[in-house]
Amino acid sequence: MIRFLLKRLGWMVLTLWVVFTVSFFMMRAAPGGPFSQERNLPPDIERNIAERYNLNDPLPLQYLKELLRVAVPPFDLGYSYRLQDYRVGEVIAQGFPISASLGVLAMLFALTLGVSAGLMSALRRNTWLDYSFMAMATLGIAVPNFVLASLAIILFVFLLGWLPAAGWGTLSQVALPALCLGAPFAAYIARLMRTGMLEVLGQDYIRTAYAKGLAPRTVLLRHALRGAIIPVVSYLGPATAGILTGSLVLERIFAIPGMGTHFIEAANQRDYTLAMGMVLVYTLLLFLMNTLVDISYAVIDPRVKLSERA
Amino acid sequence: MNAGLRKYFPYAIGLLLFVALAWAVSFDPPPPADFTFINGAEIKSVDPSKVTGAPEGRIINAVLEGLYRPMPNPDDPTQMIPLPAAATGHTLSDDGRVYTFDMRQDAYWVNPDGSRLRPVTAEDFRWSWMRTLHPATACEYVYQLYYIKNADKYNRRIVEPGDPVEVELSDAPNPDQDFPRGTIVRGELLKIDKPPEPEIPAGVNDIRRGKIMADWNESWVYEVQIDGVTRKFTRADRPAGGVEKCRWLLLDFNHVGVKVNDKDQLEVTLKDPTPYFLDLAAFYVLYPMNRECIETHGFPNWTKTENIVTNGPFRMVARHIRERIRLQKNQHYWDAGNVKLNTVDALAVESETTNLNMFMEGQVDWATTVPSAVVPELKGMPEFRSGPMMTTYFYRLNVKRKPLNDKRVRQALAMAINKQTICDRILRAGQVPARTLVPPGLTGYESPARLPYDPARARELLAAAGFPGGQSFPKLQILYNTNESHKIIAEVIQRQWRENLRIDVEIKNLEWKVFLDALHKKEYDIARSAWIGDYPDPNTFLDMFVTDGPQNETGWSNKKYDELIAAAAAQGDAARRMQMMHDAEEILVDEVPIIPVYFYVSINMVQPQVKNFHSNIQDIHPLHIIEIDKSQAGKAGGRASR
Repeated sequence: MIRFLLKRLGWMVLTLWVVFTVSFFMMRAAPGGPFSQERNLPPDIERNIAERYNLNDPLPLQYLKELLRVAVPPFDLGYSYRLQDYRVGEVIAQGFPISASLGVLAMLFALTLGVSAGLMSALRRNTWLDYSFMAMATLGIAVPNFVLASLAIILFVFLLGWLPAAGWGTLSQVALPALCLGAPFAAYIARLMRTGMLEVLGQDYIRTAYAKGLAPRTVLLRHALRGAIIPVVSYLGPATAGILTGSLVLERIFAIPGMGTHFIEAANQRDYTLAMGMVLVYTLLLFLMNTLVDISYAVIDPRVKLSERA
Repeated sequence: MNAGLRKYFPYAIGLLLFVALAWAVSFDPPPPADFTFINGAEIKSVDPSKVTGAPEGRIINAVLEGLYRPMPNPDDPTQMIPLPAAATGHTLSDDGRVYTFDMRQDAYWVNPDGSRLRPVTAEDFRWSWMRTLHPATACEYVYQLYYIKNADKYNRRIVEPGDPVEVELSDAPNPDQDFPRGTIVRGELLKIDKPPEPEIPAGVNDIRRGKIMADWNESWVYEVQIDGVTRKFTRADRPAGGVEKCRWLLLDFNHVGVKVNDKDQLEVTLKDPTPYFLDLAAFYVLYPMNRECIETHGFPNWTKTENIVTNGPFRMVARHIRERIRLQKNQHYWDAGNVKLNTVDALAVESETTNLNMFMEGQVDWATTVPSAVVPELKGMPEFRSGPMMTTYFYRLNVKRKPLNDKRVRQALAMAINKQTICDRILRAGQVPARTLVPPGLTGYESPARLPYDPARARELLAAAGFPGGQSFPKLQILYNTNESHKIIAEVIQRQWRENLRIDVEIKNLEWKVFLDALHKKEYDIARSAWIGDYPDPNTFLDMFVTDGPQNETGWSNKKYDELIAAAAAQGDAARRMQMMHDAEEILVDEVPIIPVYFYVSINMVQPQVKNFHSNIQDIHPLHIIEIDKSQAGKAGGRASR
């Protein structure tokens, strides 16, 4: 286990470095910079600004300086070019809990709805319940989350008047975004759950359990669920990625000050330091999530050995 | 894997999920503010010397205060005029060059906790303007201070032998901060030793050339006579023997036209009489900052809510990035009795649709933008407030490229656009077709309109230029930044040119920053542009197009135009000045390096219970005069409790 974790740590550091390097050069390859704007600056003022931000150094030197600053404790990501009052760390510290909160709720919603819908579908296979759930699941996967958001806003905000239109800070403001963000994943998880369940229910050990006289509920929850949930668990890694990227659009629609908003604005404004900070945080998150998923395989399924996984 | 561990795993996960859920739903919202509005994009900074945008201007106008501030004219609230704020009044010398400002005695700086710190003094302004002009601050709007005598020399580091200079030594307490500065020694510049000018290799780009010249500039050695002793200074690292390293060597700031006289008044000496100087004094770039606060905390930490020292009608008490800024009434403001709002929330919402949603649903009291597609439906509502705005939408023409270098071609293109149709059918919010650069509504100025919509005459001109019936006219490209409205307007103009002139142009959109890049590099034929006036005077539009002006970007150059603009700047008599600018604009609208298309209207959505909100040409709405009349609360009544 320790060896597995250490290996993963090594891979993580390598991945972060590659991501850093590629992002650094790609960002600066895009035309326009953080200080280009419609009102032109006289050349000497431009030079003042460039000096302040080390933009006059040759690019490889800028890269090395930045790499050293970021890689060595205290992992200083620098100041945002655009939000000049804030360090990148401060922006992330403000935005991350918000996005995490939204992501957690979306994920919980997706899991609850998906697992229960999938379970029920599998148990009542080929009935109207099954068909209607799976039809909704297909819709949920096909409809983009911003279309869903627009429909939801029309329905819940303007027609019914139950929920507010946008913003962040109260429970009612997080309901709609979490729903729209989690819906496609709920749909996918429902399908996975159904397939996984059907496969497990056909296994020998389930027949044995029933033969032994165990109650159906015990068979399902104790024995079948663990096997059936494997595809869902393995999907959680890509699902996290999907939630992170899906939140970019939704955060803009619902005016949520999370990382997605910061990320889009950083890209538009060529805010090199903030964009780099965001990219590194996302990479870290995804890597961690995937590692957790891999570890949980070994815990859930006794047939899996970590060493095989790694 | 340990069997015991596996047994407890589901419970552990269940507990974890429960904890995550509890954390995710734990919200502690602050009580709603008296007045909530949407401020557009998240502000770049609260420091007036670091920003250029309107959202920043609204916040700075709330928490800081300059000598004057823009307020509605008591006789006509739709006109904004500069009224005394931190100053109680001014006197102007006979030659119109020296302003003497009397400081208000009961204007105070307040601490982050709201307690009074000390009075605002003329010295605060002198120091703040010095900081804004200092090259280290790299202020982008610094040219608004260039009207002050020698300010541009100070900012651009121009010194010549014989000038009085100030030298900042390299002993500043914190080398990462520009302020507080190191020891300043003052003397007279005797001479500058310049090493031989470097050879710039051919084919090198502008940035590289700038870097080479900047390096060379840094290596210069300055001989300064200080207190009878000659000392040598250079800005380069590792100077030679006998030469001291200095951080900055600038014109002595005591020779810049701003000083505090012995009656504690602020005396400002301008280069030329500038009739709109009070408007500039009311512009946020000239607002003061607290020296002790900046020198203690440095930039940007002085802007944090726990550090910031302010003198405006409100204090900044909370700032959540890209969410909201909470302002609270400053109890020690000299006019606190007239400030009716206690708390104000400025939300940062970029999406136009979300803006409108939040407004319609009553979550905000004032929205600053709406999607242009729904404007016709909103127009009838009393909440829809619009009025003429001092902003022009125009197309820049790259006069260095054929055939745009021919005046007749440019005139033909201008006369073949039916701007009335564009305003009536596409924009539909009351925008006005433009035949001049300077918008109407500026007191004392009348624009010379030329080139009406005349397709027949346009065809004649095109033929005279060598393209009868549009034959062999090269395919030009209209460049615009990605935006639905710009696209539609470009398509309409493309169609009008095809119908009226039989020429084909293509249209292309670029993302904003990429677009700006192409514009600056002059890699375009025709580019969409807009300009908001900085102050209510034609000069803010006209001085853009002097030869090699940083905002020109068209390559157009006209000596007579340059002369007229320069003469108008030096002209003291108001009527003669307006006439000179009128004559200059006549040249501009005749030569058409730019094709004006339309004049903007300001569009704001304001709830019925908001009082003292007036549309004006600068679209400035001071927060501290706004009142909420609860008896008029419409839809917002039910939701305001959120």
